[in-house]
Amino acid sequence: MIELEVARLNKRFGGNHVLKDVSFEIKGAEMIGLIGPNGAGKTTLTNVLDGAVKPNSGTVYLNGKRIDQLPPFEIAKTGLGRTFQVTRSFRRMTVLENLYVPALALGKSHTGNEVKEQALEVLEFLTMEHLRNEYARALSGGQQKLLELGRLLMLDPDIIILDEPFAGVHPKLMEVIYDYIRRVNSRGKAMIIISHQMDSIFALCERLLVLNYGDLIADDTPEAVKNDPVVIEAYLGTTEDRSETGQNDAAGTTK
Amino acid sequence: MGAALLAFFFAFPFVYTAGNYDYIMHICIVGFFYAILASSWSMLAGYAGQFSFGHMAFMGLGAYTAALFCHYFFISPEPTGICTEFALGSNYLIIKNPIGVTSTTLTQDCLAQAMEKWDGAVTVSRMPVWLGVILGTLVGGIFGLLIGLLVLRLRAAYLALFTLGFSEILRATISAEIQITRGQAGIELPSLFENGITIAGHFFAKTDKIPPYFVMFFLLLGCLAILYWLSRSRFGLFVRALREDQDAAAALGVNTTRYKILVFVITSMMAASAGAVQAHYVTIITPNNLMILQMSLVVAMAVIAGVENFVAAAIGAILIEFTLEMLRTSFNIGGVEIDMTLWRLVFFGMVLMLTLRFARNGLLVPVIDYFSRGHVAAETVVRRKQSESSDGVGTAPGGQGGSS
Repeated sequence: MIELEVARLNKRFGGNHVLKDVSFEIKGAEMIGLIGPNGAGKTTLTNVLDGAVKPNSGTVYLNGKRIDQLPPFEIAKTGLGRTFQVTRSFRRMTVLENLYVPALALGKSHTGNEVKEQALEVLEFLTMEHLRNEYARALSGGQQKLLELGRLLMLDPDIIILDEPFAGVHPKLMEVIYDYIRRVNSRGKAMIIISHQMDSIFALCERLLVLNYGDLIADDTPEAVKNDPVVIEAYLGTTEDRSETGQNDAAGTTK
Repeated sequence: MGAALLAFFFAFPFVYTAGNYDYIMHICIVGFFYAILASSWSMLAGYAGQFSFGHMAFMGLGAYTAALFCHYFFISPEPTGICTEFALGSNYLIIKNPIGVTSTTLTQDCLAQAMEKWDGAVTVSRMPVWLGVILGTLVGGIFGLLIGLLVLRLRAAYLALFTLGFSEILRATISAEIQITRGQAGIELPSLFENGITIAGHFFAKTDKIPPYFVMFFLLLGCLAILYWLSRSRFGLFVRALREDQDAAAALGVNTTRYKILVFVITSMMAASAGAVQAHYVTIITPNNLMILQMSLVVAMAVIAGVENFVAAAIGAILIEFTLEMLRTSFNIGGVEIDMTLWRLVFFGMVLMLTLRFARNGLLVPVIDYFSRGHVAAETVVRRKQSESSDGVGTAPGGQGGSS
């Protein structure tokens, strides 16, 4: 079973304490939303989990293996994959080549047909097989997001972190992406979705982690989080703050 | 097309009869030399995205290693008693003391003194040229490794400035260390085939162009074969991913550190080997060969032809070298002498500027792409039509883009 244990993670950038004793666990193919206001530490947490940033203290274990001091490429091979806030496809490489990169990085042979067949399967799943020889730069923004997801499917990690998968995506395409995310999750992958779009988070996730200025202030079901006064305060500020800025008390309008 | 080019260059020295034979062969050899530099730099900058301006420094390292090796190391059956020397079986490895740029009538090095004492009774041999070339290649690789390690965290302009600094430091060091390197005077080397060579019953003197032509040509073919193999392997895929987005490549399991260093080592070795062979061909190496102008020439050759395709870079380098040489012929307009030895560089610079402005993929890459990727557009259209007719919906979600 998939098991991620994050214990007392701390990260400072100079005097800025970005992550403060963050701890949580993931067991099994959960669908988790990671939310928080701007500057809450969501992307830093992702970067620490993925190895791009080393924590000042704390530990991360993935399936029993400590990964917090490993380089990103080893963490990816251990079973944690991610997408980026701004789509980062390999633009001057074809769609197929984009998909080959993680498969070959796992050590699969590039001479046989195994990798190509796997890539074509992924493209078929994403209904993008007709674009296989196109350069990634020729794809639309939505297709590039799907291509990023496709690369993760080729990497086949246990845990997938999607950083703002719905940013700049047309509402109709969003439904399609929901469907892909659910189908990937049903393949036994744990998913962490970072998004500012609460509708999407509530539609997909069964558990929410809420970060606020580096503190993990909630770890509960979406319903419980929605009514959590600490979360409401983090998103809307205190009553005093709101009266200063002329805002009304309306937790339900949090979006 | 590749086979036709190969056949052409194989046959060229034997069928060319239009005059200025040695000069034309010389241009070919220099063209092959630049082709090695431009194609290996294309792998480094175009494929891997490492815009290094230290490529000519690696070339210089290869050339100077070969030169210093031939200049200072000798094999003698007798010990000199005054040089640094080591027994090598029944012979002695003699290391000559550096005396810099000094008239040999005033100051003699230790070996010259010993030779004078022996008065022709002992024959001292130079080290084999090929050994110097191999050593030069290895030294290029070692420095490539060091530079690769040092620039791991540097990208774009910082990497370019760092490697430019390295190149200038090396040039300044060589210029300053007159006692060892002879400074601006340069070091003379033996010819590639100092005593001539007999091939298929035909004797070629050391000044004949055909042997060095084929040495440089085969070196180019070897480099291109290695680059081709690398570009078709996971190495090629990973370094291109590295160029596109280092962080994304690492997040997908690519050991970016390893491939960044590897691409520096491999391309540095190619530049160094070309430098060593070229130095033995022209029989002298000076610090001027490492000047930034020389590096700019290699960069311009690769960029004009197409920096993201090493074959285009190689062909482009040969064509540009030929064009630049052919443009040397000055002419007269209304009594005004147009000195093309200078104006040709203006022409070259303008071609570079126009390429960067209007054809950033280079002038040869679109031609190669036309032949190698022409099927892609047709295939995509056919598949899209099939997809539309089968499900009545259309293409992949997100619609057909074209974001660039």
